Amino acid sequence: MNWIKLEQLLLEGHSERAVSVDPPLNHLALCTQALRLAGGLQQRGVQRIAVHLDDAAELAVALLGAWRAGVSVLLPADLQTHTRQRWDAHVDVWLTNSEELHALYGAPLPTAELDLDTCQLSLCTSGSSGEPKRIDKSLRQMANEVEALEQLWGAELGDACMIASVAAQHIYGLLFRVLWPLCAGRLFTRQQLAFPEDMQRASREHPAFAWVASPALLKRMADNLDWPALSHVRRVFSSGGALPAEAAHALQQRLGQWPTEIFGSSETGGIAWRQGPTLWQPFAGVQLSQSEDGALRIASPYLLPGHIEQTADAARIKADGRFELLGRLDRIVKLEEKRISLPMLEHALTQHEWVQEARLGVVNENRASLGALLVLSASGLFALREQGRRALTQTLRQHLAHHCEALALPRRWRLLRQMPLTSQGKLPQAQVDALLLAPRPTQPEVLNQHPLDDGWTLHLAIPPDLAFFSGHFPKTPVLPGVVQVDWAMHLGQQLLDLPPRFAGMEVLKFQQLVRPGDNIELTLRFDRERSKLHFAYRNANAACSSGRIVLEAAHA
Amino acid sequence: MSDLNSDIKQLIIDALGLEDISISDIGDHQTLFGEGLGLDSVDALELGLAIQKTYGIKIDADAKDTRDHFSNVTSLAAFVTAKQAA
Repeated sequence: MNWIKLEQLLLEGHSERAVSVDPPLNHLALCTQALRLAGGLQQRGVQRIAVHLDDAAELAVALLGAWRAGVSVLLPADLQTHTRQRWDAHVDVWLTNSEELHALYGAPLPTAELDLDTCQLSLCTSGSSGEPKRIDKSLRQMANEVEALEQLWGAELGDACMIASVAAQHIYGLLFRVLWPLCAGRLFTRQQLAFPEDMQRASREHPAFAWVASPALLKRMADNLDWPALSHVRRVFSSGGALPAEAAHALQQRLGQWPTEIFGSSETGGIAWRQGPTLWQPFAGVQLSQSEDGALRIASPYLLPGHIEQTADAARIKADGRFELLGRLDRIVKLEEKRISLPMLEHALTQHEWVQEARLGVVNENRASLGALLVLSASGLFALREQGRRALTQTLRQHLAHHCEALALPRRWRLLRQMPLTSQGKLPQAQVDALLLAPRPTQPEVLNQHPLDDGWTLHLAIPPDLAFFSGHFPKTPVLPGVVQVDWAMHLGQQLLDLPPRFAGMEVLKFQQLVRPGDNIELTLRFDRERSKLHFAYRNANAACSSGRIVLEAAHA
Repeated sequence: MSDLNSDIKQLIIDALGLEDISISDIGDHQTLFGEGLGLDSVDALELGLAIQKTYGIKIDADAKDTRDHFSNVTSLAAFVTAKQAA
């Protein structure tokens, strides 16, 4: 292929060099549009621009045009209201669709080489990973990286069209599906293709193709696809998060090649790659070291010269320089390639008046999602009692939606009386995760118990999250009478020597509702002569329910 | 409401791990993704897998309108019925 250096893309337009399809765009047209944008930006005195475009070819025009005009570019992670508010004061213009792009065109600036060190790009992490962070890159850093990619895989990719399932707004998509193909003279698809079927249709349209994908897609490709046709794919790139070993293996079986996994971050760019279940191979020029706790430290030509980036990824580095990843050392998790800070969201949850304490963990089922352990405040418990669990969790989800992407909203909620802290006051993450996987409780918590002459008195706490509260009246959670009878019998059997078989009930009375979070007293007396267990529940003020359970021997 | 509609609603709840939502909370014509029920593109991928597995059908990857069938429960039920008859 005919490589054009990143900084020389606007030096001369080539009409025979294709850039994208649907609708087609060639390199000459790309240059013309970029230079017109540059003219328009300069004419308006714009110095800083925020760009969020779904169309990767338009994104290429916007980036090159802005750089040509000496305008610094910010790529926000999304266009949510709070994201726009966060960055509004830092930019002069927002460029978010075709119409806005075309409206900015002016008289073209002359062709020129771009300056590797003054041309600037800022990537933004989303708010879900803590305070939204801005990561500044020079054109030189990106140029170094795309040249390294071409050295590694250029010859083999040849004239493959780069078909992408990831957004071009993040570092991986930006490099792999926009800047690299632009320099290499390879076609790239304009739109992000989120579904396997879309990837297949796009692949069929090109004699040679490669995929720029992520685990979210790759682990969900089923046998409805035409795998023999897809196996012509020249290479399958995966990045943004860990690809499960089973998914990599399934692709190997179906395509006859292991996906090429890229390990990196917005801060560092690419760090290393691997194909199949092997060690990670650092990219050329990447120098690894480790902090005392074993976390990787990175120096690389894709960072500013002299800068060493400390990561939170624990690793074991082998003698040959390759390494094994051992997991994160902080409480930052990845959900479908999105970086999420658990402490940040926990803090946001406790800002709500209903929440006293919150701990989050990842629930790994069909799709990984967050789960929340909550201790409710008095007003939170009141809301639960008056409105029910669904209203409570919906309200908290809406509250959190101002702080994170929808994907990070907890799907599972467990309401606890208190956090089960260790004697050191800690709650290990493994226990958070285990509590999230456990089913909701079906039994009361016995706070204490005292023997009587002919029975027992027990103090019970009604778990706020009792499974029975989601029954027939989810909006008014009350403890069903049948459950009260069942508890009385079970607790009686544990404490008293009772005949095992239920034979009927007498003088059953329900006087007051028992609700989430109540503390109640249960008195159990066994009348052995008549084989009847007398039970009575009361709260501080009044009788809740009472009755007699007739019991009989197993053989009767 | 047909049984298939209820079955599909239950499948959505189970496959996507939706808590505090019952089948009576999902309308037959309610939009599933985006604003409606609030599901995202990963849910759409998961639901595609679950529907194929549960009903033993295959989504035609070369048809352009495949994902239109996923807009609500009624359209999904019609899609499953048509595929099973085919």
